[in-house]
Amino acid sequence: MQLDFATNLISMLPMNILVLMLLIPLVGALVAFLVGGKGSRAITLIVTTLEMGLAVLLILGTPSLGSDPGGMSYTISHMLARLGTDSSAPVFEIILGVDGLSLVMILLTNLVVWIAAISSNHIKESKGLYYTLFLVLQTGLLGVFMSLDLIGFFIFWELVLIPMFFIIGRWGEEGSNHAAVKFFIYTHLGSAVMLVGFFYLYFQSSMFNIYGIATAVPTFNMVDLRNLGLDPWVQIGFALAIFMGAGVKLPVFPLHNWLPWAHVKAPTPGSVILAGILLKMGGYAFIRLGLWMVPDAITRLAIPFAIIAIFTCIYAAFTAMAQTDMKRLVAWTSINHMSWVLLGVAAYAAGSGSTDPVIQAAASLALQGSIFMMFAHGTIISVMFIVAGQLKYNAGTREIPDIKGLMAQAPKLSAVLILATLAAFGLPGFSGFIAEALIIFGSIVVINWSAAIGFGIFITVGYMLWMLNRIVFSDPDPEKEVSEASWSDLIAPILMLVPVILLGIWPDLILDIVKPVVDAMLLGGAP
Amino acid sequence: MLQLAAIADSLRILLLPLKELILAYVPAGWIMSLPAITLVIFGIIALTVGMRYNPLGISFIGVILAILEMVMFDPTVMFGYSFGTLFVRDAFTDLFVYIVLMVAFLVLMSSTLWGGDKGTYNFLLMISFAGAIWVVMATDLVALFLAWELMSTPTYILVALGPRREAVDGATKYFVMGLLATMLMLLGIALTFGVAGTTDLSALSVYVNTLWASPVGNEPAAYTLLLAIVLFIVSFGFKVGIFPGWQWVPDTYASADGSVTAYLAGGSKKTGVSALLRILMIGFFFAKTEWAPLIAGVAVLTMVIGNVLALAQKDIMRMLAFSSIAMMGYLFIGVAAANEIGMAAAGFHAFTHAIMKTAAFILIWAMSYKLMKRITYDDLAGLSKRAPVAAAMFAILMLALAGMPLTVGFWSKLVLFQSAVVADMWWLALVGLLNSVFSLGYYLRVMKFMYMEEPKDDTKLNLPLVPMVAVAICVLAVVALFIFPNVILDYAFQAAQIFFP
Repeated sequence: MQLDFATNLISMLPMNILVLMLLIPLVGALVAFLVGGKGSRAITLIVTTLEMGLAVLLILGTPSLGSDPGGMSYTISHMLARLGTDSSAPVFEIILGVDGLSLVMILLTNLVVWIAAISSNHIKESKGLYYTLFLVLQTGLLGVFMSLDLIGFFIFWELVLIPMFFIIGRWGEEGSNHAAVKFFIYTHLGSAVMLVGFFYLYFQSSMFNIYGIATAVPTFNMVDLRNLGLDPWVQIGFALAIFMGAGVKLPVFPLHNWLPWAHVKAPTPGSVILAGILLKMGGYAFIRLGLWMVPDAITRLAIPFAIIAIFTCIYAAFTAMAQTDMKRLVAWTSINHMSWVLLGVAAYAAGSGSTDPVIQAAASLALQGSIFMMFAHGTIISVMFIVAGQLKYNAGTREIPDIKGLMAQAPKLSAVLILATLAAFGLPGFSGFIAEALIIFGSIVVINWSAAIGFGIFITVGYMLWMLNRIVFSDPDPEKEVSEASWSDLIAPILMLVPVILLGIWPDLILDIVKPVVDAMLLGGAP
Repeated sequence: MLQLAAIADSLRILLLPLKELILAYVPAGWIMSLPAITLVIFGIIALTVGMRYNPLGISFIGVILAILEMVMFDPTVMFGYSFGTLFVRDAFTDLFVYIVLMVAFLVLMSSTLWGGDKGTYNFLLMISFAGAIWVVMATDLVALFLAWELMSTPTYILVALGPRREAVDGATKYFVMGLLATMLMLLGIALTFGVAGTTDLSALSVYVNTLWASPVGNEPAAYTLLLAIVLFIVSFGFKVGIFPGWQWVPDTYASADGSVTAYLAGGSKKTGVSALLRILMIGFFFAKTEWAPLIAGVAVLTMVIGNVLALAQKDIMRMLAFSSIAMMGYLFIGVAAANEIGMAAAGFHAFTHAIMKTAAFILIWAMSYKLMKRITYDDLAGLSKRAPVAAAMFAILMLALAGMPLTVGFWSKLVLFQSAVVADMWWLALVGLLNSVFSLGYYLRVMKFMYMEEPKDDTKLNLPLVPMVAVAICVLAVVALFIFPNVILDYAFQAAQIFFP
């Protein structure tokens, strides 16, 4: 979808729109730090609203497959460091550019950050510092989805950690220090392994391409690396490194342990951003660095990835059922749902090499489903976390057995919670359903036993309804006071429900942007 | 074109009259050593003045004059040797001399806190700075040995002059191990001289080349030289604080006066690196296949020891001391890679480590001075409320040491690991990376205490101004160099090129 007036507006901006989007929050962070206190919240709301507008403008005015190399648009590069004194020396640079896949993730980022900024109204302490970190975080997140080279990608990927660490640790609840350190070390370990993978690829790119011919200057440029057609064994080594880096973020089974801690202990906006975007960085890395850049490797790893995904889904669903803390339940739900993304990735990888058009179409469907799942989950889980955080203020606790009769005492809050829950377990009419349907329709054709993930849906519906039953539809307990949430607390979740329902009835809004990219990938990638 | 060249050129034009004056009166053989000679002269003046007044200003003038003389006499257009061919200034030397002088300046800023005998203190510091410059410049093993002693001897006393009783213990340990290292170095020089018949490094290089080309029949000579290499690595490694000579580092660093510690960690440590690099890369360049695996092993052991023991510390000074051991382990990844990018990475890391560690030690010393006690993690609790600026600066320094983006520590580690990968030692890069993840264990603990714990007493902490300005300069440099790493990286690559003509 490309509208001319939006394209014209973008070209009228004083600088490259991507650079502008990265710089506005940074400048905003500086101003927020200097102003401090109440003013910093106002500045953050202005900046995030502006960013949201820019993201909408960007998605309206940009083709899914642009004219720049790799099907990108607005490509721009900035040299950071040159390793040598002559001009032919290899360089570290940041290259920015967007295609349909990035566009969707950028929109999601700005949407979730905007909602998180609105729902930060319960942050009372050291506001200036909080909003500064918050805006720096936004720059890092946007940069990850815009970067087209491995070093820039890594810088932004790591940049996300620092503000998140402070937000979790400083404004979180009891025990958040431990959670923050755990979060930092887990993700940094994953990134470190991934960085070795980057270097490995860089080194290999300087040695030989598929014909055994040495290429002149080694490169970190993603488009160039993809066009090299690296040796499949090289790609597999790299793909395993990606699995460590992205698998921690996504997260998948053996690398998931930081997530419940970080999500539960973080303040509500922190949890929203963690679940809404940070997990998507993992999914995005799987697709961009894996499927898009080294497709052969992921193809060979498709079956193990599918097994891990299905296991993670069912395991997380069972664990979620056993939780009594509402936030912890939502955190495990995230693991449960993000494993769908990995399944879609695996199904696409397994099917993309096939010559059978039916299987190819199914593979395309699965990957579109994965990307749609990331968007849908990002919006739904934000609502869930805001409501879960709200329970603490209105019911005094988040322990599910201790909250009784929410429907009778807080109908508005209950309505939001019910809608979000229905969307989360994938009731038709909500975006969650479309995502799960696309992935499962695609993956069943490619890998028939992946139907086993249906068991995960079954359990998910079970524990979600059981949770509703205990919290919302139980009899009120006169000894436990539950108050209604105020409108100022409900604005954020209600706003976020709009895309949830809209995409449930009109999924093509996102799919039309994604589909050209996926089709190009199936044909071997846009030049 | 190097990015600071324009500034240097304009300074040169400005100083032209002074330059001609000096050229007219000073012997030509002294010109290139003039910065070091200036430091010696001003050290003696400081000693004399110090009998009555505080001579810190004299020391500042001396260091600034030395820096100006460095800029004034450009070795690319003038004859770079001084005192025959014993000392030389080239791109590599200049990088390390500027590191030493920069650290010297910062240390003098922090020395405003010094409470003991000021004349002696300034004299010893200045003499040690001069020695450090000569160590970096030396191209001959005997000259290197003399300069080494000129640099080391004052530091033994400086450590012992520390304000607390345990300073003497630290100094004793430092002194005994320093003597041992000196003896081993002397033995190494003797062995080299006995076999090669020369102590000049470039002559030695020619000898090693012919010996390695036809080793048959000359095995004893080759093995003797290998032993000499090991002895050099051990003895210079002692000063640098790498395996196996690291044991004195934590005791000495934690017990000495903080300004002296900053000099030991930021300045004199780097001279050991430069001396070792020069010996290995010029003298024993053709024996690279023999010493590179040895250095790789040393690097791995140093990183692991530094990181594991740093995690176990309660005292911040000791933690920083162990962390600087670990940092030297990273640096030696670049040495082990022994390629152009590795040498550049080592030089660049030496520079960045100098600014990060000097600043960290000065900051903690200022706190320690103010609170009149050794700083532990508990003292850092709630520092963000008691001294927000200091806490923010220390947090940036910790992130830089951990190698996170937005600080120059990221680039220096990235280039080091890249050099290992280019040398086909990607396992070394992996070990380095895992170590750098491990090191988060103690860097993050600092931030946890500063930002997430409640302070025991809420009073504002007013830290002394001049040392804080020194720290602030370093922190600004740490952040600015992330955006413009090539300002220094270009010089590092130029320095590396002298090994690969």
